[in-house]
Amino acid sequence: MAVLSDNARAEVWADAMRQLSNDRETVSIIKTDLRAAINAIDDWIVANATAFNNTLPTAAKNGLTTSQKARLFALVETRRYVDGS
Amino acid sequence: MTTTRFSFSPLAAEFPSTNFPQLLLSNRRPVLAFDASTDETAYWTFVAPQAITGTTTLVLTTAMASATSGTVGVQAQIEAITDADATDTDATTSFDTVNNSASTTVAGTAGYIKQISITMTNQDSITAGDYCRLSINRDADGSAITDSATGDMYLLLAELRDAA
Repeated sequence: MAVLSDNARAEVWADAMRQLSNDRETVSIIKTDLRAAINAIDDWIVANATAFNNTLPTAAKNGLTTSQKARLFALVETRRYVDGS
Repeated sequence: MTTTRFSFSPLAAEFPSTNFPQLLLSNRRPVLAFDASTDETAYWTFVAPQAITGTTTLVLTTAMASATSGTVGVQAQIEAITDADATDTDATTSFDTVNNSASTTVAGTAGYIKQISITMTNQDSITAGDYCRLSINRDADGSAITDSATGDMYLLLAELRDAA
């Protein structure tokens, strides 16, 4: 799996800034640092995609699509770190 | 002596067909939200006041939606059309060369105001009675001014000052 294109990463970066602005959430780092974080997250996903897939129980690993697994990951991660549970 | 010639409200802004700032309410205050990644532009129309003199200064009252560090850069242009000028308003624009702000450090707290001053060196030979437009954009892509702050820059008001 390849990393996102430079364009796609820039779109994620722009979307992230729009979301943070809409939420009026304080951001203490500058644009280049935020973009570096986006790049690092994408690199980490590529490096750990296989490990994540192997973590899933066999039924989910073999029965869910890549998109479904990604959405599950996002839901759990959001519940844990964004919703604060 | 410095005179305030105009106060340009977000509610009086006019917009291009693409890449324009969103009109929002921030604590019920109308603001134009300039994006952090795409240059966005808004216009205001006015008539150059009688007794206007030479160089004017634009003072922008801004605040950041979320950023507490970094800088913003803003650009402004004037289009001044005198009676009988050969400018086809139906088909063209004739803004003078861009005037740049300094790369200005944002307030340390989101929502606190920061006033950004732009000396309007290029103001299209504006004279009293001219039909004018003011163009304001954030240089979000940093093509001319370093703009490093994340998130939207809110424009709360723009003031045009004259040295007279």
